[in-house]
Amino acid sequence: MRRRDVAAALVAAAAAMTAGLYRFTDLFVKHYAPTPYDDLLMRLTDRGEAAKLGAQLTGSFDITAQSARLRDIFRRQDLAAAANADIAAGHLVEVGGWVLPETVALLSALAARV
Amino acid sequence: MTALIDARTIPDGQVLTPDLAIVGGGPAGISLALALKDSKISIALLESGSTSFDPEIQKMDAGAETGVQYAALDAGRVRAMGGGTNHWGGWCRPMDAIDFEAKPWMPHSGWPFGRAALEPYYARAQALVEAGPWIYDQKGDAMAGVTGPVLPLGAGGLYTSWFQFSKTRDSVLPTQFGHRYGDDLRAARNVRPYIRATVTAIRLAANGASVDHLDIATLNGRRFTVKPRMTVLAAGAMENARLMLASNDVISAGVGNQNDLVGRFFADNPIPRDVATLVSFAGPLAAFYGSNQTLNDGAIMRATFAPTTAFRRKAQVAGSLSTVEQAMELDETGKAAVVTTALALGVNAANAQAYSLGCGMELAPDPDRRLTLTEEKDALGLPRLKLDMRIADEDFDRFRRTLTELGRQLLASRTGLLRINCKNRQDWLKVMDWGHHHLGTTRMHADPKQGVVDADGLVHGTANLYVAGSGIFPSYSASNPTLNLVALTLRLGDHLKKVMA
Repeated sequence: MRRRDVAAALVAAAAAMTAGLYRFTDLFVKHYAPTPYDDLLMRLTDRGEAAKLGAQLTGSFDITAQSARLRDIFRRQDLAAAANADIAAGHLVEVGGWVLPETVALLSALAARV
Repeated sequence: MTALIDARTIPDGQVLTPDLAIVGGGPAGISLALALKDSKISIALLESGSTSFDPEIQKMDAGAETGVQYAALDAGRVRAMGGGTNHWGGWCRPMDAIDFEAKPWMPHSGWPFGRAALEPYYARAQALVEAGPWIYDQKGDAMAGVTGPVLPLGAGGLYTSWFQFSKTRDSVLPTQFGHRYGDDLRAARNVRPYIRATVTAIRLAANGASVDHLDIATLNGRRFTVKPRMTVLAAGAMENARLMLASNDVISAGVGNQNDLVGRFFADNPIPRDVATLVSFAGPLAAFYGSNQTLNDGAIMRATFAPTTAFRRKAQVAGSLSTVEQAMELDETGKAAVVTTALALGVNAANAQAYSLGCGMELAPDPDRRLTLTEEKDALGLPRLKLDMRIADEDFDRFRRTLTELGRQLLASRTGLLRINCKNRQDWLKVMDWGHHHLGTTRMHADPKQGVVDADGLVHGTANLYVAGSGIFPSYSASNPTLNLVALTLRLGDHLKKVMA
């Protein structure tokens, strides 16, 4: 076997290993079991941090109703636009005392509860 | 030059007959004496204390308290020449125009005149407190702002406002009126400053319509009389009320107390600590947010977050001045809040820095927050005070609305995030401190049924008794009172020059 073929095989093996680690372990990115709300949760760049925050939201949280509400919001705009609209309208929620845009708070609460 | 006169050397039974007696040698009393210096009005400035702190004299300030925990009555004031300026922090800020207005959402608020009435006196007051050139909000952003960026808050209810500070000496103490102006008082040919001269009674004429004379006593047993044409009480909001209530031989309710108002409406500025956590996404704030900064022209400045007039009206909130206390580390939830919110807004918060916020609040006027007399008496026979201290849930709610708006603005301007640390009354009371700004016990109002003194400080129903100082503030502002009470006292000085001419 030529030296070039050996090198190509090693690179291919390393790439495959990296892809496997990325896909099947949490080494590079956290993986979550599929949920009925993944279309919403995918909007969170760091779902783990959001879940930590959302866990601080006290009071009742109706997942079905709130996820429907979030889907309605995201049909019209992305997360940044929704957050800015909340801020402009004064739609703020306190989570553990933090004053947050309502959409960010609801999405974080959802992340904490699935 | 006249020396300070130790009242213990005045012979028993002597009668002094100055044109004007000023009772109290604190910032109000000294400012008034200086305003009338070298006029034709002969003045006896009567200070109960000495030139420095004397524990035996200070004991006369002790009293009782009920209600919300508050500083001991002898701890928050100093019975010595210079009064409260012997222990003040030097914080200065003029009251806002809205502070003078009657606000429908705040019963009993409003002054009998607007800020325009004090404007002519602020420059002289600023000079007396030695706070440097007049900068404050008019030029604060332009002058202090060159040393670092003002935090962008965008349109909304709060803005960066500016404190100035009385000149510090040896980096420790701001202007102490007794020491700073002692020589000026001694040099004035018409002022005779007395120390250790405690007024124990205001003796009214038999018809109760004017002051006939003042009883003076010293701790070494001397007793003498001052019989002035005019008297100004400038002994502080607590002591003025005490003296008026205790002088009850002609009017049984006490001098000026025909309508049961003397001692009521006591107030202070609550200074709760660590009320909120402010995160700056971009990293550390400019130094002037967290500490005093000296500018090239000598002004010492510090930034604060103040509600705008429009927001105060719309949200029906009181005055408040939130200041950055110190940098701090965030807990896990705080880090999660920053990461999640910054990512949602598309902001880089990699260098985010958190700070603890403190605040100076304005209380709403409350007639039941009051001083009354007790049976216990001090060394000179004057009844001691009892304070019923109260703070309403609405006072906290108003400030909470202000903090929420600050949080909203930080988000709107994509500059940061805010956590409100106090959820309920118990949380607020746990972090409560006080400014020791004694206010309101002899409030101003044109109507004798709503105020003890009129717009000039003249006690309703008496012809020759005035009150000076922050005790006549009918509503309070969040601004520290010293600069404002000095301006108000200089205005009284002009009034007295006219009526005593």
